Amino acid sequence: MRVLRAAARIAWKDLRIEARTGEVVLVTGLFAVLVTVLSSLSFYIDPSGARLVAPGVLWIAIAFAGVLAMGRSWARERDHDVMRGLLLSPMPRSAIYLGKAAGSLLFLLVVEVVLVPLVAVLFHLDLTPVLGPLALLLFLGTLGFVAAGTLFAAMGVKTGARELALSVILFPLVAPALLAGVVATRALFGGATEEVWPWARILAAFDLIFLASGLALFDPLTSE
Amino acid sequence: MPFDFQRVRAEKLVKVYGATRALAGVDLTFESGRVTVVEGPNGSGKSTLLAILAQLARPTRGRVLYGDLDGQRGGARVRARIGVLAHAAMVYPDLTGRENLELFASLHEIARPRERVDELIERFDIARFLDRPTRTYSRGQLQRVALARALVHSPRLLLLDEPSTGLDERSVARLVHTVEQEREAGTILVLVTHDAALAERLGDVRVRLDRGRVAEREAA
Repeated sequence: MRVLRAAARIAWKDLRIEARTGEVVLVTGLFAVLVTVLSSLSFYIDPSGARLVAPGVLWIAIAFAGVLAMGRSWARERDHDVMRGLLLSPMPRSAIYLGKAAGSLLFLLVVEVVLVPLVAVLFHLDLTPVLGPLALLLFLGTLGFVAAGTLFAAMGVKTGARELALSVILFPLVAPALLAGVVATRALFGGATEEVWPWARILAAFDLIFLASGLALFDPLTSE
Repeated sequence: MPFDFQRVRAEKLVKVYGATRALAGVDLTFESGRVTVVEGPNGSGKSTLLAILAQLARPTRGRVLYGDLDGQRGGARVRARIGVLAHAAMVYPDLTGRENLELFASLHEIARPRERVDELIERFDIARFLDRPTRTYSRGQLQRVALARALVHSPRLLLLDEPSTGLDERSVARLVHTVEQEREAGTILVLVTHDAALAERLGDVRVRLDRGRVAEREAA
């Protein structure tokens, strides 16, 4: 309970700053929109091809926007060395990890709320019948991505390696989860809804592994 | 009752970063109601010593005792009694001073964070600018909020790392006054500074580090 309470305070602080500056959602949202529009102009051929291409475009936009969002979110802990202030407080250090991950998850979900209708419009897809399973896939995929990314973004704050290291380490690590997301979304857009559930279970398993690793490793990785 | 102690003892502290030996066997005792000034050239191990005392770094060998409690086992109980004031203010630029103080008060699990923040506002006379984002503050204003943040949980051990850098005379005088008040209140104070005048004025004990060792220790 103590961990969750402290994590909620950290996440609330991030939301408050975001509500004031709009920095993370606005920048990552615009970037994701740009990736989607450019991809639709390059890859759209016909409606049947669109069903195959759109899932990849959607997940690429989410992945790139995610790296940007987590980098920006952790940059706030770097300014004025606030990260040290957090590490000095008596709350369990895993609460910092959980709170930052929750904040980044919310930011990315907001971006996805804009991104999904945009993909539907640009690729001429009717997503209304699959909105439920699609929301589940996006939530599970984003959760895993953020769970792994938060840990490495925190290391970037300590080492000064920042976004470059985040991308270099994170993408190979989460590649299996991203692949599962793309394949499941392609099955969903193709009408094979029953094929989605095994992939959703794989995504959920990735989420658990990434979250458990983050909670266990955050303290040792952020100590000198 | 919160955990309390009257003395902090560093025993045979060694800290190695890769091939660099930042501390090479430091033995020091810091007493309640006394200001220990730690001096030395760059790279002498001052910041590493403070990081270990603040529980931000683990010693490679040796230990720090807070009262009788080994810092390695103390965890949150020990961190709850340590305050740090450094050159960086450790506050969020896009939150107001008040929001920052309330956040850190709640992270320190202060029972009535708002009341505690009100006390600090009065003590440091910061009401005038406290509802503005801290990115708009002058260096002196930022330092006053940083002092309030460092003291929000009434720490027993207060670590000051180059706190006077970039401050004007009035702000330094205010800092000196706060340190003297804390000394009166029985806080254990450790001050790292290159400012010889500040060291002279505040130091009850002066320690000089050189290449990770205590080269000189002198009581004022």
